[in-house]
Amino acid sequence: MSPLSEIRFVAQRELGKSFRSAKGIVLLVLSLLGGTAASLLLVKVQQLKREKMPNIDPESLRSIREDAATQIFGDPATGKSLADAPEVLIAVFLLTIWITPLVISLLSFDSVAGDLQHKAVRYWTLRTRRASYFIGKWAGVFATISTMTFAVHALIWVVCIARGEAPAATALGWGIRFWLLTLPMSAAWCGIATLVSSLFKSPIIALLVTFATFFVLFMFWLIGGVTHANALMYVYPNFYEDMLVNPRLDRLMTGLACCLGMAALYIAGGSYLFTKKDV
Amino acid sequence: MSADEVTATNEASAPPPAPAPEPPAPAPAKADAPAPMPMPMPMSNPYAKDAPEGTGEIFIAEGAKKRKKKPVEVAIRLTKVTKRFGPKTAVDGVTLKVKAGQVYGLIGPNGAGKTTTFSMMAGFLQPTEGVVEVLGYAPNQVDELRSRIGVLPQDALLPGADKVGEFLIHMARLQDIPADRVEDSAREVLAEVDGRDWWNVKCGSLSHGMAKRVQLAQALIGDPEVVLLDEPTAGLDPRVAYEVRQLIKSRKGRCTLIVSSHNLQELEELCDGAAILDRGRLVASGSMTELTASSAEIRIKLSPGPAPIPLVRDLPMVKRVDFDDEKRELVVYFERAAGVDAEQVIGAVLWVLLQNQARIAAVSKGRGLEQRVMELTD
Repeated sequence: MSPLSEIRFVAQRELGKSFRSAKGIVLLVLSLLGGTAASLLLVKVQQLKREKMPNIDPESLRSIREDAATQIFGDPATGKSLADAPEVLIAVFLLTIWITPLVISLLSFDSVAGDLQHKAVRYWTLRTRRASYFIGKWAGVFATISTMTFAVHALIWVVCIARGEAPAATALGWGIRFWLLTLPMSAAWCGIATLVSSLFKSPIIALLVTFATFFVLFMFWLIGGVTHANALMYVYPNFYEDMLVNPRLDRLMTGLACCLGMAALYIAGGSYLFTKKDV
Repeated sequence: MSADEVTATNEASAPPPAPAPEPPAPAPAKADAPAPMPMPMPMSNPYAKDAPEGTGEIFIAEGAKKRKKKPVEVAIRLTKVTKRFGPKTAVDGVTLKVKAGQVYGLIGPNGAGKTTTFSMMAGFLQPTEGVVEVLGYAPNQVDELRSRIGVLPQDALLPGADKVGEFLIHMARLQDIPADRVEDSAREVLAEVDGRDWWNVKCGSLSHGMAKRVQLAQALIGDPEVVLLDEPTAGLDPRVAYEVRQLIKSRKGRCTLIVSSHNLQELEELCDGAAILDRGRLVASGSMTELTASSAEIRIKLSPGPAPIPLVRDLPMVKRVDFDDEKRELVVYFERAAGVDAEQVIGAVLWVLLQNQARIAAVSKGRGLEQRVMELTD
């Protein structure tokens, strides 16, 4: 059996387990509630916009969006390119990349640690290469989080189209693009979370260390931003959001390569450590 | 003991037996030096069901995808294996060889290193020093050993949220059993452990005995060549334990079985050979007959009635006679002089006893395994 088949079987099981477990269902429901809340907020904002700015012309609105996007992503070209995107979709994109690490940590802290705790992992290490097991676990968590974010984004697209905020083609075009751009960052976060989970036999310790690790990475980003020490910021996966939304292909590819490279690094490191580990 | 027999030595206490002429170097079990090591030894193999006559090859079928495998003479080989956990040495220089097709016991008190040795055989733990081989491969060579080894780990819980059926199907898939055979294989092994009604029961809802049998079922999927069973009857009620023993017996001859257990009666009943471990070191090993009959003594249980002990003492080959009046057990020690063996002594002693109207309840040669283990371990 090829390693790819092993990974597929492990990932499929992990995906199924996530959406059947109470934890997975609760997280999905919370995510959908979050999406619904965002939709309601969108309705409210649009109402306010119509009330407060009844006579604003589309060009001025576009200009406001462009300025806002330039401020957020720190790049005029990006601001210009995002000026045509429905603002709610930009908001959901930003919300997703900030909330995703939290959801990933809650979703994956016991993915490997849970199996190590009661030695259930032994049923798998007999039948799969250790690296396949690890990558399968990562892939399962990544598939789960991707599905959850897709569900939330899709909800917003529907509301956006139904309320006439944007034509269907525009909403779906930008919506799918924004959702796809969250994936490389999620891949890196999932890599870190799976690595941490595989280091501990106690899921609760794994959860705490995952939170701590994510927080430390966030602090690196924060300190790096304040002190202009870019090297510190590079370790934070969300740092690359600016590159990912950049209209320039080279910037996009750099951001993509950094996120996926980071994910690959954590997956390779985790697989290596797990291969050497006594289970 | 010949080199063909089950052999085991502890490096610190005895030198290893002269190695039988064998093909090249063994595959190291250490993860940092894995290397495939097929052992092409021509011999008839009991589980070579589909092998064409005289080909010297076996086909692993019955579930796992049909693949050519070279037959091996030695199913498990440990060479100077040591495992340390920090400063603690759990297993110390154990050398052990188990012939293919045998039922072999790992015996010893708590902390003797049985489970650690077992876990190294299964690839759960990596040896600190030494080499472990299963069917000629390092245990972590998963692809080479896929469907060829089944393991019942002692304390590995089943995934509680999985239904029994889906767990077994998942395990079967990972063993590369053809898609059209996966469910049948899973159902067959579940039926074999008398659990066909549990297919849709969640693993977390199973009782200890039921879970143990499901664990046993997953070890038997795909009809593996080597099955490692760590405490297979621990915590089971007598009826279920009996059924599990019968199941193990039914596998005898179909595969190599390694059984680790505290239950010495059970091991004596099941095993062809055994290794006795104490404090991480191998203190004795060999066939069950060798382990239990190596001493020059016979035991005779008498029913109520005459017990002509002085007449037995007068027999020329008898060195000493002990009689436990309460148990009515007679232990006769004799000199293993030329021409005198246990069978002759049994004949002579029984003749004297029967001539004097003693009623014989049972006769055994050598010591029981339990006594042997008590002697060898602190």
